[in-house]
Amino acid sequence: MKKLVSLFLILTMILSCTAALAAEDGKITIWTWDPNFNIAAMNVAKEMYNKDHPDVEIIIEEVLSEDVETRVITAASAGDISNLPDIMLIQDNSAQKFILSYPEVYADITGKYDFTDFAEGKLAYSIVDGKNYGVPFDAGTTVGTYRTDYLEAAGYTIDDMTDIDWDRFLEIGRDVKAKTGMPMLSAQAGAVDTVLIMMQSCGASMFNEDGSVNFTNSDVCKTVLEYYKTMVQEGILIEVNTWDEYCGTLSNGSVVGTINGCWILGTIMGVEDQSGKWALTNIPKLPGIETATNYSNNGGSSWVFTNGTDIDLALDFMQAYRNVDFYNEILPTTSAIATWAPAKEGSNYTAGNDFYSGDAIFAKIVDYTAKVPANQTGAFYYDAREALGTALTNYINGADLESELANAEDTVNFAMGF
Amino acid sequence: MREGAFSKHASRFVMYAFLIFVSLMSVFPLYWAFISAFNNTQQILGGRMIPSTHLIENLTNLFAQQDVWRAMKNSFATSLLQVVLSLAVSSIAGYGFEIYHDKYKDGVMSVIMLAMMVPFVAVLVPLFQLFSKLGLLNSWIGFFLPSLATPFLIMYFRNSARSFPKDTIEAARIDGLNEFQIFVKMFVPMMKPTYASAATITFMNAWNSYLWPKVIMQTSEATTMPMLVSNLMAGYVIDYGVVMAGVTLCSLPTIIIFFLLQKSFTNAVAGAVK
Amino acid sequence: MTQATPASKKKRFWTMERKQSAAGWCFLTPAALLIVIFSFWPMIQAFLTSLKRGLPTRLTYCEPLWRNYERMLSDKVFIQSVTNTFTYLIIQVPIMLVLAIIFASLLNNKDLKFRGLFRTCIFLPCATGLVAYSMIFRTLFTYDGMVNAVLLGSGILSEPINWLNEPFYAKVVIIIGLIWRWTGYNMVFFLSGMQGIEYSIYEAARIDGANQFQQLTKITIPLLRPIILVTSIMSINGTLQLFDESVNLTRGGPANMTITMSHYIYNTMFTKNPNFGYAAAMSFVILIMVAVLSAIQMKVGDKR
Repeated sequence: MKKLVSLFLILTMILSCTAALAAEDGKITIWTWDPNFNIAAMNVAKEMYNKDHPDVEIIIEEVLSEDVETRVITAASAGDISNLPDIMLIQDNSAQKFILSYPEVYADITGKYDFTDFAEGKLAYSIVDGKNYGVPFDAGTTVGTYRTDYLEAAGYTIDDMTDIDWDRFLEIGRDVKAKTGMPMLSAQAGAVDTVLIMMQSCGASMFNEDGSVNFTNSDVCKTVLEYYKTMVQEGILIEVNTWDEYCGTLSNGSVVGTINGCWILGTIMGVEDQSGKWALTNIPKLPGIETATNYSNNGGSSWVFTNGTDIDLALDFMQAYRNVDFYNEILPTTSAIATWAPAKEGSNYTAGNDFYSGDAIFAKIVDYTAKVPANQTGAFYYDAREALGTALTNYINGADLESELANAEDTVNFAMGF
Repeated sequence: MREGAFSKHASRFVMYAFLIFVSLMSVFPLYWAFISAFNNTQQILGGRMIPSTHLIENLTNLFAQQDVWRAMKNSFATSLLQVVLSLAVSSIAGYGFEIYHDKYKDGVMSVIMLAMMVPFVAVLVPLFQLFSKLGLLNSWIGFFLPSLATPFLIMYFRNSARSFPKDTIEAARIDGLNEFQIFVKMFVPMMKPTYASAATITFMNAWNSYLWPKVIMQTSEATTMPMLVSNLMAGYVIDYGVVMAGVTLCSLPTIIIFFLLQKSFTNAVAGAVK
Repeated sequence: MTQATPASKKKRFWTMERKQSAAGWCFLTPAALLIVIFSFWPMIQAFLTSLKRGLPTRLTYCEPLWRNYERMLSDKVFIQSVTNTFTYLIIQVPIMLVLAIIFASLLNNKDLKFRGLFRTCIFLPCATGLVAYSMIFRTLFTYDGMVNAVLLGSGILSEPINWLNEPFYAKVVIIIGLIWRWTGYNMVFFLSGMQGIEYSIYEAARIDGANQFQQLTKITIPLLRPIILVTSIMSINGTLQLFDESVNLTRGGPANMTITMSHYIYNTMFTKNPNFGYAAAMSFVILIMVAVLSAIQMKVGDKR
């Protein structure tokens, strides 16, 4: 017994020694950008970690998302990545592009972190060639959220909007428009967010498995564009010029609702006098498509790690992202919703939300997240996205769909042949 | 005679009306930014044209979120340093090109002009490579070194030096001043309006420069005002009231500098009249 | 006697003229060196890059070498961006410079009341941060924004214009934005240039019966020629490299109808899949365009 105790003592001494040694240069630098969102989340993680590891210095620097990208590009191209931080946040849609273009910058963390219970669709964004490069941060899970007072005025409830398809959505939209004069949705002109949401809900993306672009041969893509145009033409979806205007339509109540990534709730719940007037559900699915679901994703971001830094320390710190208490604590202040399923057990997730008339919307969203089909982004995501946007704009203005899609495909192929 | 007086009054009236109209148009956006600093997001997106009561709240949020003082300090330090050094280097060069011009110097000048024709985006990466090799990342020197000598300022001073009378130079030489003294003691004082306008413009460019600083200054220690303002635009939820408070604070120094320096323009008129 | 010869030769070598010329070289060397190091060296690097292809960290020379340059000819977006940029150039630069000269000459009148106030007001736009600038223009020109309200109210329009979403009007908004932001900037140079003109010349002209307009065209403009040259080269140069307005006001849209060359280059490097070789090649085409235009300008305007 005595021996056992002394062994234990020696072991703890050795452990604490190595811990002390590690603490000597225990420093983690993080680049991230939103003080009310991901910075706030990282601050909570920092506090939690420093409680057990007071010697590890954690520096959180505010760097705009575009600036993170610009700095990575310039640093990698100059062959000097020594100034990059240990951990940086990256937009999910950019992740594969950056990992493919600058493989020497990002550390492969496969097998070094436990990814069980993270939503598959979310993880896919930062997986390249079957290897994990990122730890998920927030969900971009899409929600359909509508003003109940407007729906009621036309004789509908939120249940009428749940688990429906786009044909039914159009019917309701026409009826609501006729009765109240209100459009159902708004979107930024030229932005393809809504279109891509609809595509991903079928597990479709702008690319084939082999990475080649897929517009002209994609029935999903064509169907989606047709539905979108119909909605615009019938005034069920109104197009506005800018993001500010889009937010304006929500806050001043000139549309019934919106279909977007769940992060839009921050904007909606920011208008306090509309409390109790909103309800939330899943999104319509595409009729006639076998793989169609009522779930999709738009936006979101993940943490990635720089090669050559102390990855083990960084990943140890990142254990917060597998911690119910962490997600529970950041939820009320940041509205960042977990993509790690067990998080929905947290008290803040299961509690009813006052703004949403007591509905436990956050637990609901974590459930949706698990059902989002994975999609392919690849290195040419933004090229394809822009080309599709051009095609969409021209198509709405009366151009032929087939030839516009062929043009868009040409544009992306052109970019690919570099 | 009476008709003449009348048309003179009428033309004066038209002139003032025109100037007032132009001034209003010019000021309006800044007015908007200023009063929007008193409003919240909803009021701003709703296009409210009069101030409301959210100023304190916006400012409190701004100062809580961001280290405004540090950014102000950084912006002032880098901009003022750049103005002083850049005016010194560029004005003496412009003077040299004009006063001592011969076909070789004119040749060099045309080559230098080429430098201003490269879009900055194109040299961003090679420039970064150079600075990382020189170990000038995250340094103030790195911040303004590339824009110290600008072809534009050299050309501006060169063209302004054309009106510098040659007999003044000759007279000074006879008085025993050397070439450098002539520049410092004769040219600089005489060209005050030119320096004032060049300083205004250089300060403004330095203050508002954005793309290069955000690449070369990689720590939050070095955040400048424009970087701070664009940081406010990040994220899913944008508080436009705070943004506008930031924009107003960021615009103030350039306006103040212009106010201070435009005196030099005016004073020169008085000199010319007498 | 024999010793004096080399000394006197040396003296003859350092003639007044040579001394002065040497002083001139000393004066311009620091600036010239800075420009060589921080502009030409990166430029040469960029030129080499323009002959390469591949991922940014693994660039290899193209085959044929001019492949990137050839690509441009069949790149619809690039051609669109060139057309857009030249549209801005041809319309905006002349309007802006004429306005700037008019403002400057009005403000140079010492009898004018509130001169400083007017001057500051007209200069203010270029002190405005980009964020405010783009926010205000976007809010003013939205579909139910103030501009449409005023135009409808005064009966000039019978139907609102979707300013930012129609290719033609979106360009108009960019041009208005440019004129608004940069006229005061150019005015500053003209104003300082006008200080160099003796006031007595105007007084003499007035006694001879010259009106304001004649004073402007017969005295001010000819005497301001060097400054006009600087500002016009600067404006052409600035417009061909136009970036901020395209990015912030319209984001290049709708459907790339307002995108500028620099904006497209930036996208090629930083927002799309990074293609440094092609971006560098496009920058060189801009360089050549600006160089040619400036050379023409210099030939026409720079007479000693």
